[in-house]
Amino acid sequence: MVTRFLGIIVALLVLAPTNLVGQEGRVAVIVHPERSMALSQEEIAQIYLRRKRFWNDGSVIVPLNLPSQAPLREHFSQLVLNQTEPRLADYWNRLYFEGILPPATLASTEAVRRYVASDPNAIGYVPAAEVDASVRVILHLD
Amino acid sequence: MCPTKLFPRLTSDAPSVLSLVALLVALLLLLVSPTAWAASETTPSLSLGQASLEEAFGVDSPLGRLSYQAGRGFHLGNTGLTIGGFSTVEAEFLEGGEQSGGLEELNFLLSYDPFPFVHVFSELGIGTLAELERGRSGVHSDPNLEVERLYLDLGNRDALRLRFGKFFTPIGRWNLARIEPLLWTTSEPLIVEEVFDDSTTGAMLHGTMFPRGGALSYSLYGAFLDPLDAEPDEDPVKHSAGAHVEWASLKGWTLGASYFAAQLHKGEWNHLGGADLLWHPHRRVELSSEVVFGEGSREDGTLWGFYGQAVVETVRTLYLVGRYERFDPPGGGRAINLFDLGFAWVPVPYFRVKADYLIADHRHELAEPGLRLSFSFLF
Repeated sequence: MVTRFLGIIVALLVLAPTNLVGQEGRVAVIVHPERSMALSQEEIAQIYLRRKRFWNDGSVIVPLNLPSQAPLREHFSQLVLNQTEPRLADYWNRLYFEGILPPATLASTEAVRRYVASDPNAIGYVPAAEVDASVRVILHLD
Repeated sequence: MCPTKLFPRLTSDAPSVLSLVALLVALLLLLVSPTAWAASETTPSLSLGQASLEEAFGVDSPLGRLSYQAGRGFHLGNTGLTIGGFSTVEAEFLEGGEQSGGLEELNFLLSYDPFPFVHVFSELGIGTLAELERGRSGVHSDPNLEVERLYLDLGNRDALRLRFGKFFTPIGRWNLARIEPLLWTTSEPLIVEEVFDDSTTGAMLHGTMFPRGGALSYSLYGAFLDPLDAEPDEDPVKHSAGAHVEWASLKGWTLGASYFAAQLHKGEWNHLGGADLLWHPHRRVELSSEVVFGEGSREDGTLWGFYGQAVVETVRTLYLVGRYERFDPPGGGRAINLFDLGFAWVPVPYFRVKADYLIADHRHELAEPGLRLSFSFLF
């Protein structure tokens, strides 16, 4: 009986949707290969809060987000911004009143990687497993 | 060169319609610049969104993607132009018997970023569109286009930018975001409403630096132009200067300090100091407070005032709000103690319903006790 029960549990775990067993894993923050500077997690937070808006060479930083329902975005927001969605919404309302908009949203991690590979001013985040030579990883988040 | 010659329309004599036309012409000139049309065909098109706000409408065009998002405005492709705004319907039932309500605000926000080092922003208001008042027959309407803000930000360094035009006077936190869709109560603290001019027409150096643990922002500003499109009954000062510094911790609290000096019409200078705090001790709790002391720009005499406000999310989207305020007016008048209690319902980030009751320790023309309601939204 116990063996059968354990077998059912194991089967459920194997068949479970991947997001129930931590699909996000390691997150890679990526930039264009031309960007050689290092960024800390705090600096990335300031970029995604649109407080830090310029690269050191004076170019505008283009931070990229995933859709609000994306589990990876939620994971990233908790890791880096450490804020709840309602509080973030209030924060963005206040900045909207000054003409500053939140980070742009792309539909998928593939789109984020492609965009970052083509724009030296962009910064994004994708699962570490999806990183290739077209972009440079500046930070890994666990 | 004298700044007034560079911007001859930034005077109180200039009708607001002329100011608007000047703004629109400037925007159109920038719109047809080659960089404004630059669009990459090798990259996926960007849409703007955050915090559960999704694109409500979108279509691809030669300008890039034209899209609208509730609460985030209409984005004109790759031109860098965004048009949005907010509106408020209010009603008040005061203890003295006065009752009124109507469509009190319809304001437009125009933002334009044609180049990395240029940010143009304006807020245009259309006064009272429709108001009903007890004892007065018919619907009262007083539409009047007002330039609430109009400024140009120059610079491509986080630590240093120059702002030129009409902007909110950076004293405390409340005055920088004093619209119904961003506030938790329908009434404003007296230290925000009655002490200093809410906007400044002049120049400001501002920037943000990033020491470990947060962001340190500063503003240094001065008014040296005739106030643009000022309210005639407010009699704003022509010369003022001030500074604001703010530390925004990544752990969820913000602390600020302000200094403001204004030259009154008799020639002498008044000086005002202040401090402000925002703290989230829990994910469902927000505490905020401001204090000012010294001499304001509205009238002579020493004053001081303080408010403390608490907001608690009780169930999802429903917030209880309480504020205590004390205001010692200039000239040695009797101090006022106010309590504002109510709730706010925020079903989506861009829509806010509020009801609160203002209680005063005595009747005063600056703060009439009673029930106030408002429905407001960003678009």
